[in-house]
Amino acid sequence: MSILLLRLTIGFYSVGLLHSFLSIITRKKTLFRVALGGIWAGFVCHFLSILMAWFESRHPPISSLQGVLSFFAFVIVLAFLLSYARYRLESLSVFVFPLAFILTLGANLMSAPNQPYPEILRSLWLYLHVPSIFLGYAAFFVAFASGVMYLIQENELKRKRPQGFYYRLPSLEVCDELGYKALSIGFSFVTLGMVAGALWQPPWPLDPKIIASFITWLTYTVLITYRFSTGLRGRKAALMAIAAFILVLITFVGTRSQGSAHSFIQ
Amino acid sequence: MTLLLVGLSHKTAPIDIREKVHFPQARLYEALQILTSQPTIAEGLILSTCNRMEIVTHAVDTTCGLDFVRKFISDFHCLPEEFIHPFLYNFAHSDVVRHVFRVASSLDSMVIGEPQILGQFKTAFNQASSVGTVGNTLSPLMHRAFHVAKRVRSETGISNSAVSVSYAAVELAKKIFDKLTGRTVLLLGAGKMSELSAKHLISQGVKSLLVWNRTYQRAVDMASKLHGEAIHPEELFRHIERADILICSTGSPGVILKKSDAQRLVQLRRNKPVFIIDIAVPRDVDPELNKVNNIFLYDIDDLRHVVDANLRHRQKEALFAEGIIHDEVQSYINQIQNLEVAPSIVSLRQHWDSVRQEELAKSRKRFGRLTTDQEAALESLTQGIINKILHGPISEIKSLGQDPSAAQRIKAIKKMLGVKN
Repeated sequence: MSILLLRLTIGFYSVGLLHSFLSIITRKKTLFRVALGGIWAGFVCHFLSILMAWFESRHPPISSLQGVLSFFAFVIVLAFLLSYARYRLESLSVFVFPLAFILTLGANLMSAPNQPYPEILRSLWLYLHVPSIFLGYAAFFVAFASGVMYLIQENELKRKRPQGFYYRLPSLEVCDELGYKALSIGFSFVTLGMVAGALWQPPWPLDPKIIASFITWLTYTVLITYRFSTGLRGRKAALMAIAAFILVLITFVGTRSQGSAHSFIQ
Repeated sequence: MTLLLVGLSHKTAPIDIREKVHFPQARLYEALQILTSQPTIAEGLILSTCNRMEIVTHAVDTTCGLDFVRKFISDFHCLPEEFIHPFLYNFAHSDVVRHVFRVASSLDSMVIGEPQILGQFKTAFNQASSVGTVGNTLSPLMHRAFHVAKRVRSETGISNSAVSVSYAAVELAKKIFDKLTGRTVLLLGAGKMSELSAKHLISQGVKSLLVWNRTYQRAVDMASKLHGEAIHPEELFRHIERADILICSTGSPGVILKKSDAQRLVQLRRNKPVFIIDIAVPRDVDPELNKVNNIFLYDIDDLRHVVDANLRHRQKEALFAEGIIHDEVQSYINQIQNLEVAPSIVSLRQHWDSVRQEELAKSRKRFGRLTTDQEAALESLTQGIINKILHGPISEIKSLGQDPSAAQRIKAIKKMLGVKN
């Protein structure tokens, strides 16, 4: 049942993907409404799919790569829907929909796990650790996308020759504000997730992911304090949010060993 | 009966012709009454603006209608017919629908996408309805045109970029600051130009206004006029950091703001962006300032480039709009066609259904008692035959549509199939 719902989800998300492509090639405002409807329907299916997977295997679906991809896609879409509710930014969808589609596609192509659930993962701390980290990373992705939008719009304004992007992207103020908010929210969640992780597994094994996470976390700490204390904003802040997100990618994707998140999980 | 439109616009007639055929507000009712006084014209509407004059009518016949409307225009304005004929265009049938949709959507305007034309069209329609010269044909057409214009506005970007220099500046400011409410504007130079721009920005919700001028008294005068605050000539650099938007228009021969000033300014403002509009010639601000982070400097030429780009953008959007118009014309034409031929189709069906019922009633006596199944089979057999026979004629009627000879041919088809008119 959960697999069937996941298939349905990818169907709905493909509407969003189509929108992203078409809005780069042509432009039609009605398309976005259709795509938003598709994303909403997909989001609901996705939520049910994750619930069903939990119900079917009687543990949260976070031990397999399939579950992780699916859950991360879900959180990314959630982050988009929240930012859309606040800022009405259509342009953000161009970044979010393809990513959500690719992650969900990955989850669809993988078979459902049938290994036993590792004993080490049966912990309430873990149930807090994984969602918090994922929510945090999704927010960092929004900060990254805002940074990219800021740089493009700034470039348009500095060049003084407006083209397509000038008309379609939001103002610098909105990009900057969204970037800052996403950064703050993401930082809070990642911090919470890391604390939960630390409480889950003391004493902490020396694991590549833990080290990388810590470096990422330090980078974001510096970025946030710098922004807060010196009023760093605009171009530099956007560049730093983009660079920091590359660290997130390394942490999240680059340090997976043998299909599991941490080296100490067999 | 047919739709017919005669008119001229900035594309076909120069201003000295356009002003001669303009229908003044005071004589519009009179004009509408004369236009519809003859049986040739069943319904009529006059749109007369500085850029165009359009007479939309529902006429009995294309040729008679055309002659009448042309004569009406020249008689009303006391002009010889040959004088205005070369400037007039005319449309009939579905071309009228297309032209009306395009004009209402501002695709035919001098500045594509300008919003006034829709309002002017609405006024023209209201005036005509108050005199009672629009009815069952023109009324739905105009309502549909207003709907199409709204659709074009909301689904394309045809009218959301500025096409005047002063409005382009406001729009750029919004691309930087999003909303202008609560922002501060500093005018460098208390001239006519800066006053105009300031008024524009104030109407967008700018919170406070600072005025600086080399002659202090002029700054004070302008500040009191615009409810702003005058800055003493010596104290410019003490106040400049408060400004989000700078409008420079002094008569100073050299630059007032140098690149080094700007770097300090950005530091003082903790990296908050500054938008500088330099409309002075010679320029007040070193062009190098644009290279400083968080400073956006536009001089008068830059603003003109933005306006040009916006115009090109509108033209691109107009292509999408033409697509919408195309679809809407199609669907409107289909709709009126179906409305026109629907009664004929209904009468055909009714006639043949009654023939079927009669024949069934006659034969039923000979059949005796039938089971329910046999009854149903008989029903579907006879119904099927009728449907097969009528299928050809009905699709023929539907396809005839707006063809001027349609009425004649529909009559013939009905006659052949035994329906009396």
